[in-house]
Amino acid sequence: MEKASKEVLQLTASKLMFDMTDEEYDRLVKEFEVLIKQMNIIGEIKGVDDAEPMTFPFDVTNSCLREDVCSTSIKKEEALKNAKDVKEGQIRLPRVLK
Amino acid sequence: MEFEAVIGLEIHIELKTKSKMFSSAPVTYGLEPNTQIELYDLGFPGVMPSVNKQAVISAIRVCHALNMKIDDTLMFDRKNYFYSDLSKGYQITQQFRPIGREGHLTIKTFEGEKDIGIERLHLEEDACKQLHYSDYTLIDYNRSGIPLIEIVSKPEIRSGEEAAKYVEKIRSIVTFLDVSNGKMEEGSLRCDTNVSVREKGSSDFGIKVEIKNVNGLTNIQRAIDYEIRRQTEILQKGEIVKEETRRYDENKKITVLMRAKNDPVDYKYFTDANIAPIKLSKEFIQEAISTSPELAEVKKIRYLSMGLNEYDSDLLISDVDLSKYFDEAVRSGANPKLLANWINVNVRASLKRLNISINEFPITPIHLAELIKIIEKGKISNVQARDLFMKMLEKKISPNKILEESDSTQISDMSTIQKLILETISENEKSVIDYKNGNERVVGFIVGQVLKKSAGKANPALTSKLVLEELKRR
Amino acid sequence: MGYMHLGLLDIHEALIKNKVTPLELVLEAIELAKKGTNNCFEYICEKEAIEKAKKLDDSKKDNILYGIPIVVKDNYSTKDIPTTASSNILKDYVPIFSSEVVNRLEEAGAIIIGKTTMDELGMGGSGSAGHLGTTYNPWDKTKTHRIGGSSCGSASAIASGIVPLAIGSDTGDSVRKPASYGASVGLKPTWGRISRFGLFPFAASLDHVGYFTRSVYDSAAILNVLAGRDEKDYSSSFKPVEDYTKKLNEPVAGKRIAVIKEIVDAINDQDILATFKNNLEQLRQRGVVIDFVSIDYKLLKAIYPTYIIVSSAEATSNNANLDGVKFGLREPGKTYEEILKNTRTKGFSKLIKRRFIIGGYSLLKENREELFVRAQKCRRLIVDAFNSVLDKFDAIYCPATPTVAPLISSNLEAFIGDYSIADDYMAFANMGGLPSITLPLGFKDGLPFGGNLTAKAFDESNLFNLAQAIEDSTGLKDLVAKEDE
Repeated sequence: MEKASKEVLQLTASKLMFDMTDEEYDRLVKEFEVLIKQMNIIGEIKGVDDAEPMTFPFDVTNSCLREDVCSTSIKKEEALKNAKDVKEGQIRLPRVLK
Repeated sequence: MEFEAVIGLEIHIELKTKSKMFSSAPVTYGLEPNTQIELYDLGFPGVMPSVNKQAVISAIRVCHALNMKIDDTLMFDRKNYFYSDLSKGYQITQQFRPIGREGHLTIKTFEGEKDIGIERLHLEEDACKQLHYSDYTLIDYNRSGIPLIEIVSKPEIRSGEEAAKYVEKIRSIVTFLDVSNGKMEEGSLRCDTNVSVREKGSSDFGIKVEIKNVNGLTNIQRAIDYEIRRQTEILQKGEIVKEETRRYDENKKITVLMRAKNDPVDYKYFTDANIAPIKLSKEFIQEAISTSPELAEVKKIRYLSMGLNEYDSDLLISDVDLSKYFDEAVRSGANPKLLANWINVNVRASLKRLNISINEFPITPIHLAELIKIIEKGKISNVQARDLFMKMLEKKISPNKILEESDSTQISDMSTIQKLILETISENEKSVIDYKNGNERVVGFIVGQVLKKSAGKANPALTSKLVLEELKRR
Repeated sequence: MGYMHLGLLDIHEALIKNKVTPLELVLEAIELAKKGTNNCFEYICEKEAIEKAKKLDDSKKDNILYGIPIVVKDNYSTKDIPTTASSNILKDYVPIFSSEVVNRLEEAGAIIIGKTTMDELGMGGSGSAGHLGTTYNPWDKTKTHRIGGSSCGSASAIASGIVPLAIGSDTGDSVRKPASYGASVGLKPTWGRISRFGLFPFAASLDHVGYFTRSVYDSAAILNVLAGRDEKDYSSSFKPVEDYTKKLNEPVAGKRIAVIKEIVDAINDQDILATFKNNLEQLRQRGVVIDFVSIDYKLLKAIYPTYIIVSSAEATSNNANLDGVKFGLREPGKTYEEILKNTRTKGFSKLIKRRFIIGGYSLLKENREELFVRAQKCRRLIVDAFNSVLDKFDAIYCPATPTVAPLISSNLEAFIGDYSIADDYMAFANMGGLPSITLPLGFKDGLPFGGNLTAKAFDESNLFNLAQAIEDSTGLKDLVAKEDE
């Protein structure tokens, strides 16, 4: 596993749509060194490669599907109450380029 | 050097369920913005998805029609990216376990039949609708969360014609299965195309160009054929095709650059833990399939077995709604052959003249079936039948009712007609002489006069038979 | 005098005997909340609570929660009450719906008097990472010790005698660790036992509704109110709900408890160890079979990094809806992307951003096999190891924390290599979705510490039964560190 450089982490942050200070990136680079070392140690645990990746804490399989019935939907005014810029009952953004 | 094109299609189809994929908000079109929504659709913190049963049934039916392997466990994954039309910052889809895998369908081109492999079919949710103005964009969440199926073909399509035929076939399947209205112009069937060109016979793939959202079958064919030519020319010059996304300019009939693909998006997929895996029992899958509406080709076989000819059958299955109209009229007791003829001639002509779809046609299939029954019994003439049909179009009531009202029941009583014939001949003695002298046209004249006297009610066939007999007797 | 320092059952009795009214209780709790100096509250619902107390339907009087003032962590959606999860990015957000937990509590007659502080969006365990700063441990009058997080405000509010029930959430140990530092009973039941609808997600596969009470009985009684399938949370379980108070006092003789040897060995505090071992002896006297069992040290060491990767990865996605468009903070920008970047850069704290980058980086194509997927695989091994212990035992029992509440001056934010396996091991119960309870064991220099008991999935009745035996043997319940004492 490669070292996570500051540049790579900056790009990762940018894809997550935020930025941090240089100081924070430096700190994170150090955290990553520890984390990646730990994950490499984990990689050496017997059986880890063959283990089935776990998403659910235990087998939660069921056969439940929602019946296709409409319920009363929320009111427009309520839905938009928390939005900061609303025009003609719709949320407004600067023109989005396709 | 000879080149060949490699084309893969990704088709997104909006399902016409009552409620959305993961929320119970209604699926509707064209209503006031932000009125057809639930908490989930706006991505408020703490909202959770629930899987729509009908959407799953629809997906199973399409999978079956496309000869796919159907996964018996449903799981959903998150596709993570930021875009203004995406309320949660991720879309729920089926990246790792699509409901359908490894299918195929057969298309008919001018060169004959060809099998196109299908990679996968998965369920997902639609994004919001954006309305772009000159300096701002408005966001309408009504479309957010509408169920979609995405069908991804294998890269086995080789021409624009094949692509168009493939899309046409998929559209026929989803409309006949009644899972989608399949309208490209309304965006309920959307098509993204990947085109690359390589040396013929090579097993490597060329550099892929994506053409986004081409609308309409003709445009799909034209866009792809243009793109194949464009890429081939580049390769012939010894240059390299750039990996990029293009769109089709309908007016200029060319593809144009939208954006270069230097940094493909990494969607950071992972399984959504809010949706416990759903086991689909064999019985559930079987039930979804066995209760599925008929596909076009199944209908055609049935039509042929009813005695319809190839031409009439093909016309009927060219439009799912037309075939549904036909089926309903048959169920109401109409003679299938006569009915098919009437639909394909008179009904279709009226639709064209009125510029409406069959769903807006004023004559109900039940009423048309009544008309067919009246005709079949020989109660009215062809002329009268067409006349009656026009009146039905206008009045939107049953033909029997119209007949009752106008008392226009055909006179088939021989003695009544005979009386009118004798009357007519006595008024036109000269005709008998003309006939004896060999003028055959006299028959038509007398018949016409009789029909006129009966105000069009005399059965023409019977009348002409009786006139001929009478003239011969003289 | 007042009632708010008592257990639920005592307050309930006073209400039934008409010694006190719901309104009087609410006024008492609000006064305590306002006077409190531990920084427990994001929002005190004074007006709303008084109104509810006045309108309370007394046909529900038999319910243990009828007329009881409670607090709820600020990551539960509450209709018409500001909910920020202690994050600037949710500034001014007033939800238009309530979480299922809140609905069930209110349906039972409970009255929410406040929304409590937390580590921002549930991430972090220091009790210092919310936008209102550090929440203090009421057992320490010098305000130099942590209460722990992320459910810091709820933990502090119940420990300081403001309310007898405080709702928290637990993704790693966010209820069970602060319960240890605050001498309360902290429970998170089985994953899926309580609906998460309306709980702001941090990491859905690890998130649990949890809560603090002052006794094991109260804990069991509240589960009776909250447990059960909810159509709005499709991961919630169909398993029938039991009366969890029913088996509390059944004999425990013959029940089997496993103590994880490596975790106990990693604890250096001799007082905590002595108290714990003394308690084991007390349990043995009640006929409980206690064995020390081993789990691979490497797996125990792997719990923390595995947790960080899995939870951070899920967190990037769960918080991607915080974009300045539909609710919360919105910073200006010329384009959608600019609005998004400016809002998220300003709205999230440093810690959150670092966690997001860890999560985002772990999910990238080039890293996912070695980071995210490896963590998912390791999670399986960890869960299998603990479950194979639980195959042979009724519960796993260890000190909840290796120390009493740490100093605020200690840095808990950074990911460091030399962490102790006894520090963050309780996340195994989140990974396996197992019911887990922390309850008071003892005090050291005036600061409490607790023990943690974890049972098989959906075996809450058994868990409460053993927890009751521990509580009976220590005699530690209804512990409150009042402000003026």
